[in-house]
Amino acid sequence: MERRSNLIRLFFFSIVFLVIVFPFLPLLLSSVSFGWQWPNVLPESYSFRAWEYVLAGSSGTWPAVGASLLIAGIVTAVNILLAVPAANALSRNKFTGKWLAEAIIFAPIVIPPFVAVMGIHLTFLRLGLTETIFGVVLAHLSPTLPYMVRAVMISYNTLSVDWEDQARMLGAGPFSRFFHVVLPHLMPGIAAGASLSILISLSQYLITFLIGSGQVVTLPILLFPFISGGDPAIASAYSLLFAGMAILTLLVMDVSLKNYYKNKKASTVKGQQRGVEM
Amino acid sequence: MNDLRIINIKKQFKQTERRGDPAFSLQPIQLTIREGEFFSLLGPSGCGKTTLLKLVAGLLQADSGEIWVGDTNLTKVPSESRKFAMVFQQSLLFPHMSVEDNVAFGLKMQKVGKKQRLDKARAMLERVGLAGYGSRLPDELSGGQQQRVALARALVANPRVLLMDEPFSALDPILREEMRELLGRIQKEFRVTVLFVTHDREEAFYLSDRIGIMNEGELLQVGNARDLYERPASTTAATFLGLKNIIEGTVSDGRFSSIGGNFEFAVNDRFQAGQGFLVLRPEAVELMPNASLPPKGSLHVSGVIQQLRFKHGFYLCKVQVGDEQLECVFSSRQRENATAGQKVDLMVDLKDVWIVEK
Amino acid sequence: MLQKSKPYLLLLPATATIVLLFFGGLFDGLLKSLGYFPAIGKMELDLTAYTGLLGSSDFWESLALTTRVAALSSLIASILGGIIAISLFMLSESAKSGAPRFWQRLFQLPLTIPHLVGGYIIVLLFMQSGFLSKILATAGVIDDISDFPVLVNDPFGWGIIMAYAWKEAPFVSLMIYPVLTRIHSSWRDVSRVFGAKGWQFIREIVLPIIFPAWTIAAFIVFVFTFSAFEVPYLLGVTYPSMLPVYSYQLYTSGTLADRPEALAVNIILAALTILLGLAVYFFSKRWNVLKGWN
Repeated sequence: MERRSNLIRLFFFSIVFLVIVFPFLPLLLSSVSFGWQWPNVLPESYSFRAWEYVLAGSSGTWPAVGASLLIAGIVTAVNILLAVPAANALSRNKFTGKWLAEAIIFAPIVIPPFVAVMGIHLTFLRLGLTETIFGVVLAHLSPTLPYMVRAVMISYNTLSVDWEDQARMLGAGPFSRFFHVVLPHLMPGIAAGASLSILISLSQYLITFLIGSGQVVTLPILLFPFISGGDPAIASAYSLLFAGMAILTLLVMDVSLKNYYKNKKASTVKGQQRGVEM
Repeated sequence: MNDLRIINIKKQFKQTERRGDPAFSLQPIQLTIREGEFFSLLGPSGCGKTTLLKLVAGLLQADSGEIWVGDTNLTKVPSESRKFAMVFQQSLLFPHMSVEDNVAFGLKMQKVGKKQRLDKARAMLERVGLAGYGSRLPDELSGGQQQRVALARALVANPRVLLMDEPFSALDPILREEMRELLGRIQKEFRVTVLFVTHDREEAFYLSDRIGIMNEGELLQVGNARDLYERPASTTAATFLGLKNIIEGTVSDGRFSSIGGNFEFAVNDRFQAGQGFLVLRPEAVELMPNASLPPKGSLHVSGVIQQLRFKHGFYLCKVQVGDEQLECVFSSRQRENATAGQKVDLMVDLKDVWIVEK
Repeated sequence: MLQKSKPYLLLLPATATIVLLFFGGLFDGLLKSLGYFPAIGKMELDLTAYTGLLGSSDFWESLALTTRVAALSSLIASILGGIIAISLFMLSESAKSGAPRFWQRLFQLPLTIPHLVGGYIIVLLFMQSGFLSKILATAGVIDDISDFPVLVNDPFGWGIIMAYAWKEAPFVSLMIYPVLTRIHSSWRDVSRVFGAKGWQFIREIVLPIIFPAWTIAAFIVFVFTFSAFEVPYLLGVTYPSMLPVYSYQLYTSGTLADRPEALAVNIILAALTILLGLAVYFFSKRWNVLKGWN
């Protein structure tokens, strides 16, 4: 029995190494390489040249990071405002046409959003929305909003109306009820939805490129020329930075959530939410 | 006087609103609960008692009727401004707030200053036996403690009426008795008017000044525990109060006679002539000593003991009398000369006999 | 009255946003795919773009490639994801510590990585002069760069398939794992009483239980891969290209005449994904898989 479970563990660790750790090795090595000829398994010499370039002020990395975060931030804030009432309606009411509302809101999960963006591109051009941050924010809304609604709905499902009734009986009016009772309960869902929304917004390339027309430079826009045939060291450094940003977003959300709400419910909501990520 | 008056409150649910259930309606209900009174609504689940409670709370909108407290008509006043308090089946403590913040929540809504409301909250916690628990989170308390906090939270703002919806039904039996005592004591101390909903008749009997029995959306009978138990107004009420000895018969010429003819006795003018049901409380049925004559003014039947069961402190005995089965309660001493299968004579003092009109 | 209209009012902002920005875009695209360009004075609708498209071999080759890549990616991702989920399950069964949670997080890593980065990782690993090739050369298995097969920017789409298999395998395992945790440890004891060995336990109990969730997860990966742009754009070849890339190439080719065709590709793509999405929805409802979703 003991040997068996050791065998399982060994098998498991080799999978972890092969599938998770190993793929990152060339990325890491390449980012600090200074010339890396075939067939050497390790670079001939190392340097932080690529990192210096990426992190230096002249490369435009920081404005791109700023633009990415600004867009993701606005998109997420708007999503929260739109999603909370919508999730309330969808998870707490039965009404005619509910299936239609659900179909509309969740359609961008199934139908690729670039189809809509390409379709609306010329209209945006006419309205002067292309090449603007505002236009890009509008374009990022539909791919992200469904996930936010989904996440908040899961939180609403676990909030029985009794809680609000209880608050009412203690003299709380509509606003007090929302801020003291409903919002704290929704927080884990909102945080999960926000991390998804930020993550999805951060990694959009095509949509940003179509609407931003190269004028709105986010990190993926900056990164693309490098990874499609540019300097591999710089491409690797940018890739690591980009991936790091995404992971950091999730970690920050995760930690702030834990501090906010040390409840088991939170972790199940998060767990479920992870399932929505693609 | 700040009596709570429920005037012709009526509510009809369409089939769609209560999924799976048939359409349900609450018949017009008229009820006055006196200030400081402990009033229980007792009935099986689905009888509409919780609906009535929520109508009083304003959490549901009545189709017609009014709610008054004293001279104030509260019918159109939203729940949050009625100055009522409510304790639900679940404690519903806000999980992100400490225990004392929970208790102080109602005062906070009334814009009471922080220090003052926390002082009051701590004092209230002490009253329910939870001194020193204020800074904990609700998660860290047991179910019984949570319900105590819920009670403290409801009482701290001096509500006009305290509404309670089966507040102890989720607790285990020993805890339930403890909470019952605590609630009884605190209600007397605060002289708060309580409208209490339960399906547990022992709980209702223990706590209430008066009880209203509800069934299928109707208020069947209102009275104190003893009145209801000894003089139920209908067989439904009698059944729900746990009275099993209900025997159909007729009253004519000052005499009751059961359909099978086994029960026959003089009722004089106490009950109206017509068809009715004889209701015999199990503890009113006595074993007659062997070979003695029934005393005057008592009902006398004989039957065969079917079953004897020891319950805490007494014996529950089922006796077959003709087609009817009588349930009676014997003390251990009485039981000594009775065994299953034995033929026995039983008597009931006519003062303890009750007949319900059909 | 207010009670009745409340849900509609609450839904209005979100649905209006999606209707305006998303369905508006789809409709805009549909009109333009039918040749409606008021800007150049063309108001009448025709099916030129669609007939042109359906008559071109480029389109059919693109569709074939897209289907093949999506099918293989979802197949490999689901096998890999299944293995991960079952090993995680076995690990959490044998060790009672909180370690599995850590491993779970680690496995979600590829899911968090942006697609472009995931694609680039595949480039560095699998290109002819890539990391694997270097390892094989050093080990003496291959002698020349050209001995290593073309796996990136190849006409078959291996690079794309590997990128998605890697990125979506954790997704599949995430879909399966909650189902696995529903397997009560006592079932294992019961099956042991009946004499089931480890492998039999997996075959007779574990696999049948996870099968519905597994199928749905694979299907979702299929739909997703079918309509994704970034990775095929990075790892594919110019011809044949996957449908979204094909559409993009047409759209940015410069000639205005190609734009209706690009949008027609999009509309066909959208129609196909709707059909696939409905199929996923139907089966998941029927099998009651996506509990958290509905």
